[in-house]
Amino acid sequence: MRLGKMLIIGERINASNKSVGQALANGDKEFLQNLAKAQADAGAAFIDVNAGAATDWAGSSTALMEWLIDVVQEVTEKPLCIDSDDPAVVQAALKRYRGETVMINSVNAEPERLNSIGRLALERKTSLVALVMRDGGIPRTVEERLDAADAIMTHLVGLGVKEEQVYFDPLVLPISVDSTQGLITLKTIAGIKARYPSAKTVMGLSNISYGLPNRRMINRAFMVMSAAMGLDAAIMDPLDAKAMSLARVADMLTGEDLACKKYIKAHRKGLLVE
Amino acid sequence: MNEDMIAKLKENVIQGRKTQDDEGIDEDLTGPGVVELTQQALDANIPVAVIIKEGLTAGMQVVGEKFSTKEYFIPDMLASAEAVGAAMDIAKPYLEVSGGSTNGKFAIATVKGDIHDIGKNIVAILLKGAGYEVHDLGIDVPTEKIVEFVRTEKPDYLGLSALLTTTMVVMGEVADALKQAGLREQVKVLIGGAAVSIEYAQEIGADAYCADGFEAIKQMEAFQTA
Repeated sequence: MRLGKMLIIGERINASNKSVGQALANGDKEFLQNLAKAQADAGAAFIDVNAGAATDWAGSSTALMEWLIDVVQEVTEKPLCIDSDDPAVVQAALKRYRGETVMINSVNAEPERLNSIGRLALERKTSLVALVMRDGGIPRTVEERLDAADAIMTHLVGLGVKEEQVYFDPLVLPISVDSTQGLITLKTIAGIKARYPSAKTVMGLSNISYGLPNRRMINRAFMVMSAAMGLDAAIMDPLDAKAMSLARVADMLTGEDLACKKYIKAHRKGLLVE
Repeated sequence: MNEDMIAKLKENVIQGRKTQDDEGIDEDLTGPGVVELTQQALDANIPVAVIIKEGLTAGMQVVGEKFSTKEYFIPDMLASAEAVGAAMDIAKPYLEVSGGSTNGKFAIATVKGDIHDIGKNIVAILLKGAGYEVHDLGIDVPTEKIVEFVRTEKPDYLGLSALLTTTMVVMGEVADALKQAGLREQVKVLIGGAAVSIEYAQEIGADAYCADGFEAIKQMEAFQTA
């Protein structure tokens, strides 16, 4: 089932979240499976799986990721977004995963990682999230981010990866720390779409609202604004029904929902929350 | 008169008005901001120690309380800290003349493998505003570089930051490397970041876990009075 153009990647299974970290440390299968199912039921197109570092019982970060993949696959057939910057963990996860469609999250412009993860993406024909940054942190300007995107695309195409396999992440920094960062991200999305029309864009929304009150409201607004710039996918909380409704609205307002059919269908099913 | 000036300074710190052009939280507040008031107070021969303690630091203390009760948010806190940081730059030459010193030397780094700098930067700004001499070693800082800095520059405090569970472990390596180099006793190690916990601080033998910059200030004050 694909609700609309904007691809929703469920962000909840992430080791950096305290309760998820706890569940991973305790091997709490039920907690993680409930989270996977809830996100799938809420309309997530992909489930992001981030297992973090090794736990006492799992021994290594690879073993933990393999276990997590098994746990999630037991309850849903939704495609997974394998979230790790360690090529060994990604490789093991891809081996363990039974489904067809899969996304790797993520690489940056660092050549060594581009090589190893790019090859994995090529072999398995996966989508690949590419952060538009080099070593040494997140570039503060649009130009530097687009330069990093160029470096990444040149490298990946050189390996044989197709442009449409690449999901560029324009990067999001908290608006609470630097009030120019919202527009910088939006302009980066537009810049990437102009340079690489067949490539996609994806980003985690919640970073934008760090340190501010009413975070979900900010995340939702940012998602709609990003859709206008051409954002193709959002890593977000699918259990936020208002955000899911706004994703449908954004599809419609950007001409991605012919004759507003999907929007009206969602309304008839009672899926839209005002 | 002098008391009035210090009270105004403190109020403007709380309102986060760095200069006369800045908007405070109370929209009706106008007139000189923290930078102008600090200069006026120095010109009026108010002792620099009084300006820092009763104006700047006292103001930041209120900001810290408001932040911990969630009345203030990160932008509020940053505005105040930046105002105080700018005031400290003005006060520094006077401080040196009067023979006073900073609260101590504080080095801060995001550990090797981790490139997250927002939390680290906030803490650095805040501590500068609290009167510490801050040395920001940057992000993705190799353990050897941190050890070398402790050896040669002898900071009183070392703050380590990591956002990820995968990079948090490097903090333990830094603590071990300091121990091996015989430097562990000369510096207090404070750790923080999303992945880090008080349990982890205990596990690696850090001197303190700090949930945010204000907690770091509290911890360092506790070390000073201990």
